[in-house]
Amino acid sequence: MAASDSPSAALRRRDLCSRGIRLAGKMRSDVVDLLDTYVERQGLDASASVVAVEGVPAAAVERWDEQTGTQRLLENLAAYRAFRALLAQMLEEQREQLGEADAALGRALAAVLLQVSAFAYHLEELLRLESHGPPSEEGASPPPPSHLSLFEKKLRGLGVLRELAQWAVRSARDLRQIAKPSLGSSSAPSLAESP
Amino acid sequence: DSHIQYERVGADVTMKCGSMDWDAAVTWTANGTDIDESHLNGSYLILKNVDLTQSGQYSCYEGSSWHLKYQTYLRVGTPPKEPVLMCRSNNYPKGFYCSWHLPTPTYIPNSFNISVIHGTREMVCEKDAFPKNRCHIRYLQLFSTVKYKVTLTVTNALGKNSTTLTFDEVAIVKPDPPESVVAKPVPNNPRRLEVSWQNPSSWPDPESFPLKFFLRYRPLILDQWQHVELSDGTSHTITDAYAGKEYIIQVAAKDNDIGTWSDWSVAVHATPWTEEPKHLTTEAQVTETTSASTSSFMPPPTTKICDKGAVVGSGAVAVCWTAGLVLAAYGVLFI
Repeated sequence: MAASDSPSAALRRRDLCSRGIRLAGKMRSDVVDLLDTYVERQGLDASASVVAVEGVPAAAVERWDEQTGTQRLLENLAAYRAFRALLAQMLEEQREQLGEADAALGRALAAVLLQVSAFAYHLEELLRLESHGPPSEEGASPPPPSHLSLFEKKLRGLGVLRELAQWAVRSARDLRQIAKPSLGSSSAPSLAESP
Repeated sequence: DSHIQYERVGADVTMKCGSMDWDAAVTWTANGTDIDESHLNGSYLILKNVDLTQSGQYSCYEGSSWHLKYQTYLRVGTPPKEPVLMCRSNNYPKGFYCSWHLPTPTYIPNSFNISVIHGTREMVCEKDAFPKNRCHIRYLQLFSTVKYKVTLTVTNALGKNSTTLTFDEVAIVKPDPPESVVAKPVPNNPRRLEVSWQNPSSWPDPESFPLKFFLRYRPLILDQWQHVELSDGTSHTITDAYAGKEYIIQVAAKDNDIGTWSDWSVAVHATPWTEEPKHLTTEAQVTETTSASTSSFMPPPTTKICDKGAVVGSGAVAVCWTAGLVLAAYGVLFI
């Protein structure tokens, strides 16, 4: 029997999923608040449409209900690792641009960055319960230094936060799927076996 | 030949009698009734400032032969005003539906065309058989930040109009109200009511997409509602009901994370448990029995009964004497 099928592993998975769902809910709420602050402080229009930005993981997915538990975890982990790097870059740019003039925005960005890191850790723990374990971060290099104008950076930041808010909703749904007893990661086909 | 002719309310309409010359002798009828010659200009029929009542079949006959030369069905109506469009997902994450209507009737046939665009992709909104002014779409993607743009165009013979809605995937999520709401008194608890309900049957996966609920209740005699928000479970016990008062109770639902609250459920009524009142005649009998028992256990007469004012009947006098003799005997013993 695989380690992920043992009763203690099942309990650990359920516990991690429950905590992860709560963390995703809190993260979403904080990101939505941060979006309001960001739009206001950066002088943007809240309804501005932002095209898909390179390097920002899109939460949109087709055939979501057909994904295996492992696929969900891997996609989530890749996304939150990318957001961790993107938010760190935004924080750096914000400090360079405004210095200490807007400490509130900086603090809010830093708080969300912390939650993103915590959530990534949750996902890594869940993957450790699987036979695969979490992938290394070799491929997840930080985004290259930005060559964008100030306005383009602001729009990009808006895109990052919007997509992160959407990921937080998706992640809670993903974890609920994973937490289902009959559809836990261990009972789903592994990534190698899935079509 | 016969055909349909559409005209706007208030328009002036001129009908020619087919290929007949202007000065030909003709007779016009409207729904089989001859039209007065005052409405004719030569062989042309002139209808000024038409209204809805003038819709009908108009026929033109050659004067002497009464051969039918021309027939038309006049439909008086209006071009469409901007339609009212609504889109909603009550079965998230499966899809959403859009429904529409015209704010005022046109009195002539209308056709509706709906287009749904998500980013660069055009999606097909499948028309429902019933009701006719509704169509539904399956979500091809979930968790998308790209907005949906829905455009409805209504066209009739007199004009066209359209409206566009733009929305996020999550903004239109609104479940149907909870079903099977039941409220019951709790035995031996005069201030409690137990309320239970079920998820709306249209919500496809409440386990992965759990709903939260809002319950409101008030006694019928008051206007102020009490509210309780419940993040899980499909039951709740009200513990602060007014004893003996009939209550009205409703429940609403919302996805835990996104969208808006449903409409309120069908209202249910319930009254908290009350103790059964005792029967009145039984109480009276208990009171009389108690009085009779008490009088049989009255203490022996005292000196008070010997007071002149308190004496009633000859028996009391004998008692007084007896009490006096006893007291006298005691007095002799202690001299």
